[in-house]
Amino acid sequence: MEQKYEEEIQMLQQEIEMLEAEQEETLRSIFIEHGDRLQHELLCLVFEEGGGEQDLSILITEVRELEKDLRRQTEINGIALNECFVKTLHKSERKLVQQLRLAGHCSVLLFQVEFAVTEIQEDDALRRRVTELNIVVDGVEFKDFSAFVSRVEDTKDLLLFFRTLRTFSERCEERRQTFQHFQEKYPDVVSLPEGCRSELMIIRSPQLPGTSMTIFWKIDVSMEGVVKPSLELLLKMSDQAREFDTKKVMENGSNYFQSLLQILGVEASIEGLIRTMFVRSHKTSQRSRRGNFIPNLLFDINTCTITR
Amino acid sequence: MEAVEQGVLGHLMALERDGMGQQDQHESQRLEMLKVRAVTLRAQRDQLKHQADAVKVRRILKDKISKDLPLDDVDAAGGFIDLQKSLLTAWRMQLKDLQRAHHLIGGYDLVECKEGKSVCVSFHTAFEGVYLETYNMELDLTRTVQISRHNIPPSFPLESIAKQILQKDLKAFLQTLSQKLNAFAGRRQQVCLLKELVGSVEVMESNQLCNILVLMCTAQGETPKAVLCTLEYGDLTQCLPTRVSIECEDKTLSESPQWKKNQSLLLESPAHTALLTMRRMGSIA
Repeated sequence: MEQKYEEEIQMLQQEIEMLEAEQEETLRSIFIEHGDRLQHELLCLVFEEGGGEQDLSILITEVRELEKDLRRQTEINGIALNECFVKTLHKSERKLVQQLRLAGHCSVLLFQVEFAVTEIQEDDALRRRVTELNIVVDGVEFKDFSAFVSRVEDTKDLLLFFRTLRTFSERCEERRQTFQHFQEKYPDVVSLPEGCRSELMIIRSPQLPGTSMTIFWKIDVSMEGVVKPSLELLLKMSDQAREFDTKKVMENGSNYFQSLLQILGVEASIEGLIRTMFVRSHKTSQRSRRGNFIPNLLFDINTCTITR
Repeated sequence: MEAVEQGVLGHLMALERDGMGQQDQHESQRLEMLKVRAVTLRAQRDQLKHQADAVKVRRILKDKISKDLPLDDVDAAGGFIDLQKSLLTAWRMQLKDLQRAHHLIGGYDLVECKEGKSVCVSFHTAFEGVYLETYNMELDLTRTVQISRHNIPPSFPLESIAKQILQKDLKAFLQTLSQKLNAFAGRRQQVCLLKELVGSVEVMESNQLCNILVLMCTAQGETPKAVLCTLEYGDLTQCLPTRVSIECEDKTLSESPQWKKNQSLLLESPAHTALLTMRRMGSIA
């Protein structure tokens, strides 16, 4: 008699597990297929006061709270997830295997990440590990990112990827803002031939043809996820100008720039460079930071002035 | 004599009867429990089945939506409520999935406590795909940002990091801490793994912060020789050493190209991986 009940109980438990899993799958697929429309239809219900049946009001409150929490997490993590597909491959009392596909962005950098995670409940703790990892990144900033991505996929280091992505996106944002700032301030002299998200900025004056300064602002990411920005200056002079280059500005210009960077920082250094492009009339005889960009230029490190 | 025996026997028989009765009682109690449990589970199963049907019906209704038919043109007013219920349930499921996703990718799981006066954050660590410890911290936000509670190991330079960054930029503080904690967890895990996988190597010295590691290996050769490898981790944000020195009584060994290569291996890959490679190549026992 007892045995009969015990058997029935076990069978019911299994059935319940199966039905719950089925229900989860159905709910997820509804969202996949009609997610946008769904939110559109229910937006007013959820985000306006009043309305809704008894039954619904609990659900509505829950959804409101979850949306609020999600905004909080997005803000603090610096990562926005636009898509989240979850597939449960195995679920039992002690083991859970899931595949997740996420798509989103970190500031303007887009990513798509697919990974599989296995969780096993052992006596004292929950053991969780990533068993597969595939990453796709999109954006002009990512041209030197692939070595890091390959390494992270090999080591399955999902957390390192996102930590590095955050730092990388901050450095990219600094670069973008600085480049854009200078282009807006000096539109005649500064050009960004590959856009404000690229690593190139060219400074040339219409009055000094053949002479230009190109700034390469690279943001390097090592295989271990170390993000290192570095700036380099490339000077180009017309042959005519080069004849007057007795002080060897062409050769030493990039080194001077490095010293300048260390003392003044990035923005002030670039500002200084740009100003050398302004050709003044011969009236000025006194020393000033603005000067003609003639080969006899000297960056005076000690007084931070540019004089002849 | 007979009367007394009858009395004793009778008493014993009465006791036996009582005993069996108690057992019966136990049995019937258990039976009752099982019966009740079965009934509860049956009800749960039936409810799920009913809901499952409802969800399927809702899918059909959703088809109506995709065909741009008006939603409230449903059989009964109750149908519309049920539809909303299913949709909200689906939305809730998606939101929970997103929460979990943030958690799995190493998010800080920020929770507001004490009516916004403080927040709790978690630092998840992982190494080579294996999730390790999670460290938690409560930050008090009343006047300035202060750390009120945490379970980060005392050897960790938390104070100095907080002093440098916490007041200026909370996110940068969290980022730096997460980076350093992950590196620390990674270094610690390497020591565990090398003890586990490369039993032949002896850990002579290591410290709480896991930024110095001295290992004793046995170099293969005509006569096995002891080699001391010292790994210094100068950069606390990294899992790899910044300096590796090889010492051996036999100077020719430590200067040999094979051991120069081993030195590079130890600089470029995690300790346990490097040692396993060295063993596989026959360099060490």
